[in-house]
Amino acid sequence: MTKDSLIRTLRDGFGPALTVSEGATPKRLVLDIDRTAFRAAALKLRAAGGRYMVGVGSDERDRRGAFGMIHLFAFDKDGFTVALRTSAPAETPEFDSIAPEIPAAGWTEREYMDLLGFTFKGNPKPKKLILADDWPAGIHPLRKEVPYNLVPPSAEDVAYELDEAPEGTTTVPIGPFHPSLHEPAHFAVYVDGETIKGCDYRGFMTHRGIEKLCQTQVSYNEVPFVAERICGICGSVHAAAYSQSVEEAAGIKIARRAEFIRTIMLEIERLHSHLLWLGVAGHLIGYDTIFMQSWRVREPIMWLSERLTGNRKTYGMIVIGGVRRDITPALREDILGVLKKVETEVGGLKDAVLKDTSIHRRTKGVGFIPREEAEAWSLLGPVARGRGVDIDVRRDHPYAAYDELSFDVPVMDSGDVWGTLVVRLLEIFESIKIVRQALDKMPSDGPLLTEVADVLPAYRHGLSMVEAPRGESVHYLITGPENRPERWRVRAPTYTNLQGVPRMLLDNQLADFPIIVGSIDPCFSCTDRVLVVDGRARSRRVFARSEIEALGRGRRKP
Amino acid sequence: MWLTSKIKQVLLVLKPGKVTLNYPAESRPVPEGFRGQPAWDHTKCIGCGGCANHCPARTILTRDLCPEIRILFYDGARCMYCGRCADVCPEKAIVMSPEFELATGDRDDITQSLELFMLTCQRCGRCYDLEIKNAIDKLDLRGYRYDSLEARTVIRRSTERFAPDVLGETEAYRRPERIGG
Repeated sequence: MTKDSLIRTLRDGFGPALTVSEGATPKRLVLDIDRTAFRAAALKLRAAGGRYMVGVGSDERDRRGAFGMIHLFAFDKDGFTVALRTSAPAETPEFDSIAPEIPAAGWTEREYMDLLGFTFKGNPKPKKLILADDWPAGIHPLRKEVPYNLVPPSAEDVAYELDEAPEGTTTVPIGPFHPSLHEPAHFAVYVDGETIKGCDYRGFMTHRGIEKLCQTQVSYNEVPFVAERICGICGSVHAAAYSQSVEEAAGIKIARRAEFIRTIMLEIERLHSHLLWLGVAGHLIGYDTIFMQSWRVREPIMWLSERLTGNRKTYGMIVIGGVRRDITPALREDILGVLKKVETEVGGLKDAVLKDTSIHRRTKGVGFIPREEAEAWSLLGPVARGRGVDIDVRRDHPYAAYDELSFDVPVMDSGDVWGTLVVRLLEIFESIKIVRQALDKMPSDGPLLTEVADVLPAYRHGLSMVEAPRGESVHYLITGPENRPERWRVRAPTYTNLQGVPRMLLDNQLADFPIIVGSIDPCFSCTDRVLVVDGRARSRRVFARSEIEALGRGRRKP
Repeated sequence: MWLTSKIKQVLLVLKPGKVTLNYPAESRPVPEGFRGQPAWDHTKCIGCGGCANHCPARTILTRDLCPEIRILFYDGARCMYCGRCADVCPEKAIVMSPEFELATGDRDDITQSLELFMLTCQRCGRCYDLEIKNAIDKLDLRGYRYDSLEARTVIRRSTERFAPDVLGETEAYRRPERIGG
């Protein structure tokens, strides 16, 4: 649906309750709507083909006495985004939930119940998402009166209450620490025999409060370095997304050469991330040859990053207004040399991997989701493209220098882990292609950094999307009066993809759990004790390691 | 099918041979422009505090002991080696050294402290009027927020507004309850 026809449809449906305005660029449409029609409008946007991206809640009581809430939708075919904005009075921050119809909005709503104290009427799972279990009720950290360094007293005797297990199932807890997870996250997997019948997720155990920190403590120019550290892999992605959102909000146009260098950094990041994932995926299915070899192939890229940015990862390169370091002719030859070597090696790896029947058996048909459901859950990146959803921010909403570059977007229809594996492998070659084109088309000189001399105007909105290796990263920024963002919302791709994991796990084998969760590219640990929850008897008992070993050796049923 | 694939895998493994470096016996030299630990040149530093002001990790502290002596203190334990300090230094007094083997049991090994003698005004004998806050004195607000130079640890504490007893008085305050009775 094109922008004009969308506006017409909405105007007919909502009349005076709706105000349509242009965003920062023609690709951004801003709709202000009355709170009563908020849900209906969101559903209409979804029905019109909008992909739910994320919601942004903000505390604007000090300047207009209200809380703000924004739902963001992307119309990928037509290349524009819609920000559906509303506000609620400071006393009653209540909204109607859209999560029953748009499941991808579930976490957003739960997040703002925790962080801003909103109420979403009709949310199907109004449980804690982000705050710790012992966080006192009634304190919402993103509200402005709450200091950034608040540490409430902790409590020992509280735990997350899991969802009720389906009838006749046993709960297998995976996490918070598990050998195949790099970060703590807890999955309670409900199994009937070996088959997974459901899953509850409790994560956010290392929530660092970066948004609050950057809204209260540091200034615009320092945030890119903090943003980089949101992710251990996608440093450039978050720095670029943040910088672009500031640039959009403040109307800064950066030099073309800087845009090309950003593009090259983003693609080098994708190269090493996909090779890293391929290794981890091999490891998760017990195939360590792939792990060793793909990480060996990845290493020259890391060393290349060291020469480009000054350290092993793709950090410290992108700032507001451009980039910090240049790609000199010598580095250009260096990049081309490394790419040539990597291309040959990945070619060998691809031949060895794609025809291996043991990999077929472990990945084909595993974690299957039909295309319609992948769209309903707003899955992103290779996870979506492996399930037939043809989306890619680089092509649909071009940023940096992608509008000048030609590349293919691999899409697989198999709908399973195999699809995501093939998509990622093919994307490695596309990335190499993009870097080569970018090096050719890059303007030979020009400034790297556009100086921003003026004070950035306050209360402007900026949105930017960047295709990270795992999918689309969304940064939404509202500029503030104190040389720092008033609101900075980051949505990493795993935030969305992880919501779809319980659906991916459904009716799969428990043994496939690591590769299914690993296929979206996040991570877990089960060590010396296990908590057994009997779904029917509703009794709980903690087994010590010695007991488990005794049970295991005796092969008796607990 | 699987056999050809396996043969390819064997070749893939055999061809590169052993790639592991014999570290630390032989270490790979760092490339030009490497961002290692920042190093201050005290002869160049003018004590402007720009590095402290721009450090994203807030790991550089400036504090005036008296009008003539300014302490510039860098705690490497919090540093993320972004090189922002070296970028903003107007005197090029900071360089990112090639030093990266910084694992240590004693954090004093990776800290640097500069005691800078600030030139004073010949008329009044002071650097700056500390009462009327000028731009440089406002730097006291920045830098990392430790209580003292000696403690050098993040002292977590509830803030005044949210002292535990104040917390208890808020209407919605309720300790979470234990599940399962």
